[in-house]
Amino acid sequence: MSDSPNGRPNGRPARAGWRDRLPRIGWLTLVWVLLWGTFTVQTVVGGVLVALVVTLLFPMPPATDPIPVRPLRVLGLVVFLAYDLVASTLGVSWQILRYGPRARGTILEVPLYSSSDRVATVLASAVTLSPGTAVLHFAPDQGVWYAYSLGPRDEAGVERARRQALDMQRRVLAAFGTPEEQARAAAGEGER
Amino acid sequence: MTGVADIVSACLLLLGALSCLLGAIGLVRLPSMLSRLQAATKPQTLGLFLILAGTAMRVPTDSAVTLLLVALFQVITAPVISQLVGRSAYRSGAVRPEVLVVDELAERGRRAPEPPPQ
Repeated sequence: MSDSPNGRPNGRPARAGWRDRLPRIGWLTLVWVLLWGTFTVQTVVGGVLVALVVTLLFPMPPATDPIPVRPLRVLGLVVFLAYDLVASTLGVSWQILRYGPRARGTILEVPLYSSSDRVATVLASAVTLSPGTAVLHFAPDQGVWYAYSLGPRDEAGVERARRQALDMQRRVLAAFGTPEEQARAAAGEGER
Repeated sequence: MTGVADIVSACLLLLGALSCLLGAIGLVRLPSMLSRLQAATKPQTLGLFLILAGTAMRVPTDSAVTLLLVALFQVITAPVISQLVGRSAYRSGAVRPEVLVVDELAERGRRAPEPPPQ
């Protein structure tokens, strides 16, 4: 089985090849099985069939920027997100009960260390999933992104929020970034 | 055994409800669109997880696995919605500057005009 059928003269194949579709087929099958709630031959075979049809009918654009995926780091990121969800919920609850109408927030400019769309997507989802913070704007041209953070009341609080945003970016890059991007993040290039 | 499971399940359900309640209080008490958005979307995420975990302990395993999907789709969809609303709110000027300690996005806007949305 060739891994990249009908490659165009100077470029990538127009549609993702079989191997690229495999993760999506696996994922869709898993969702299908979970929806049925029973792990039987019928649900698995049905899931694979449905996944095949779906990936045929709705082809994804071919991945132009292969990103490294480090399973252990991804697991670490998931565990951190779970911890962060609990810790930040407590933080937001404190803001709600303690300050309420007098709660303050801040919008930060944070250096962006990756040009990959997929890293940006994961980063935005991770930051926005965490209570109290959200991504407002990505400006890859300027190499920055903007995060909103609920809570900071003074300069020290703003710096803490900035460090948290950078920390999240480092964790995402540890899971999905190239070594070069990780080096830039570790060097703290462009940080205030 | 059943007794312990019942107590754990009840605690999870109550904690989840408390988390959702806090989110609702935040929706009323917090001062701005962006901060309310945090209260509206995030404590519910944890609250939903806790309630799902509590429920999963009380229903047959088959149904409990399906609850996993609910949690999964919450994780995937909540950030997207929250981000879209937050961004639209900011761009449409619904964010009152006096509730922000620092607004570096506005500083950027003063440096260079915002490019038109794609």
